[in-house]
Amino acid sequence: MPVVKVLTDGIGELDLRDLDVYRSRGGYEQWKRAVTTMQPAEIVDLTAKSGLRGRGGAGFPTGRKWQFLPNNSRPRYMVCNCDEAEPGTFKDHMLLEETPHQVLEGMLIGTYAIGSKHAFIYIRGEFKRGHRVFTEALAQARAAGLVGANLFGTPTSIEVTVHRGAGAYICGEETALLNSLEGRRGEPRLKPPFPAVKGLYGEPTVVNNVETLATLPHILKNGPEWFARVGPQRSPGYKIVSVSGHVRKPANYEIPLGTTLRALLEIAAGPREGRKIVAVQPGGGSSACLFEEHLDLSYDFDTMAANGTMLGSGAVVFFDDTTDFVKAAYALVRFFAHESCGQCTPCREGGHWLAITLERILAGGGLDSDVDMLVSVSHQMTGLNLCPLGDSIEPFLASVVKRFEAQFRAYVGKSQVSVAV
Amino acid sequence: MSAAARQRDFASIVAEVRPQAERLIAQYPHSRSALLPILHAFQNVEGWVSPEAMDATAQWLEVPLSVVESTASFYTLFFRRPVGKYMLQPCRNLSCLIDGADEIMAYFRRKLGIGHLQTSGDGLFSYEEVECLAACDRAPCMQVNLEFVYDLTKEKVDAMLEAMRGGTYEVPPLPQSTPPGGDWHLGADHGKKSSGAQGVSDPNDPGGMGDPSGLRMIERLAHDRIPIEARPTSERLIREGAARLAAGLREKHED
Repeated sequence: MPVVKVLTDGIGELDLRDLDVYRSRGGYEQWKRAVTTMQPAEIVDLTAKSGLRGRGGAGFPTGRKWQFLPNNSRPRYMVCNCDEAEPGTFKDHMLLEETPHQVLEGMLIGTYAIGSKHAFIYIRGEFKRGHRVFTEALAQARAAGLVGANLFGTPTSIEVTVHRGAGAYICGEETALLNSLEGRRGEPRLKPPFPAVKGLYGEPTVVNNVETLATLPHILKNGPEWFARVGPQRSPGYKIVSVSGHVRKPANYEIPLGTTLRALLEIAAGPREGRKIVAVQPGGGSSACLFEEHLDLSYDFDTMAANGTMLGSGAVVFFDDTTDFVKAAYALVRFFAHESCGQCTPCREGGHWLAITLERILAGGGLDSDVDMLVSVSHQMTGLNLCPLGDSIEPFLASVVKRFEAQFRAYVGKSQVSVAV
Repeated sequence: MSAAARQRDFASIVAEVRPQAERLIAQYPHSRSALLPILHAFQNVEGWVSPEAMDATAQWLEVPLSVVESTASFYTLFFRRPVGKYMLQPCRNLSCLIDGADEIMAYFRRKLGIGHLQTSGDGLFSYEEVECLAACDRAPCMQVNLEFVYDLTKEKVDAMLEAMRGGTYEVPPLPQSTPPGGDWHLGADHGKKSSGAQGVSDPNDPGGMGDPSGLRMIERLAHDRIPIEARPTSERLIREGAARLAAGLREKHED
């Protein structure tokens, strides 16, 4: 089975939090090579050539994102997005705690590539241990002259600031993250202008995911072709996939993109004894469900999109035939209702009333029309919001109502109340 | 605690946080970026973010108090009421849920005798059911004072609560600068940004949604508002504003 060890190499075997251990395995060599022998533009070019697409959720080509930066002399910033909170995703959490130096090395390379002198890492508030681990790693790297002024005797200087969030899923959205980093409420901004033009403190800014940045040292080391050759042409490379739900071995697995969902299920040791997988959510809480007939699809950005769902952050949740999809839908709808920032009415009110409607259905007081209302309200919310959060309820909810409508109708059928029309 | 004692106490808290705040501010090109980090620093020392802490933060960052309060109220990890020694936060999201989180949560509620966003009478436990904690491979999971506990079972819960009651639990308790009350949830704004959301969806009474007429919901909307006296910060703002207005008028008069 095609499990690989690139970003995950050494995790669980070695203490990669220790600078000496990390360096003994070639750590920070690419950082040194970048600063001492490469021009920033070369790294941008190389990253674009590798075909690397953002690992945070949107899947935007990283090299191209960097190329959007205006060519001016204003200060510019690199921000590493470690506000991982998409339901089902736990890869950045692992990278941060297990291999903080790899994350830092990637951040430094990215910061140098875009010509910035100041990088920030925004760590989710709940990752108290991760924050501690990364802060220690940064102190070690600073003491070893890997971060700070006149790196490796060159004029290049880069400062890194660790910033901790305080419990808000929406801060994973890049403009909300920037507001939060500026000490404001984490409310998304209207785009355009995009952060590349007007980001942190109104200056050109790049926001990249942890895994995206942690991939950079490997692309530098092995060359862009090494990465571009793996998997489908427009969706290449290796990816850490967080597998959870009804499988025997839920965990993070690093795979080449283009592995099938069925192979992924086998990697995770398959369904529980005597059970059968009936659905899979392939890209986090915001993605639509796929079903047993889709298990042979290739797991990559474009194939998922072509099938009406998305690869998202790489969180794959498998559901077996014991699943109550009404409760599952409720858990996700309640989540999005809770995490709405409240700026846009469709998201703020729609999510909230959908959660109440599901509560009513689950409590046995639902009306038959409630089931149809779930689909119509979630559809009406979509496309009317500043950021994608309000659009995130419909995919899962509509897909499971359509497929498992009988489960929803059965709850309604239990209703003790007859309603005169 | 008397107001004078509280003031003395707060002076020592400020003495501890102030140097940290200065270091934090120096890390950013713009001082306001230190707002969240300073509130974290206060919460680490106080166990919660008191109105005085927000006041001090506003002064240090040279922003209005309303800015600090508005920002703090956006984030669920800032406790703007005193909480118990152990903040218990089991995950209620999808991967945990399909792996038995609902049973674990029901067990917590039964064992603790409290519900979502409440504190036990002895001030030992505060309880909140939270969203995905990014540890779905080891579901059901939770955090205790923001440290992870994985693969929860009822036996594990029993052992944990016993160790906490006996003072032998491995995670240190939260500082207790002020004794907690029953509800640490500032209903009007904790994590909820929707005016329509208030008092409708009560997680401690999910069965309450069973009334298909919708009347019960409307009733709650109308009646379960948080009384004004339960909002110390807003009240203080009003009083403060009135005092400033009076002072301004006096000044004008004296001119």
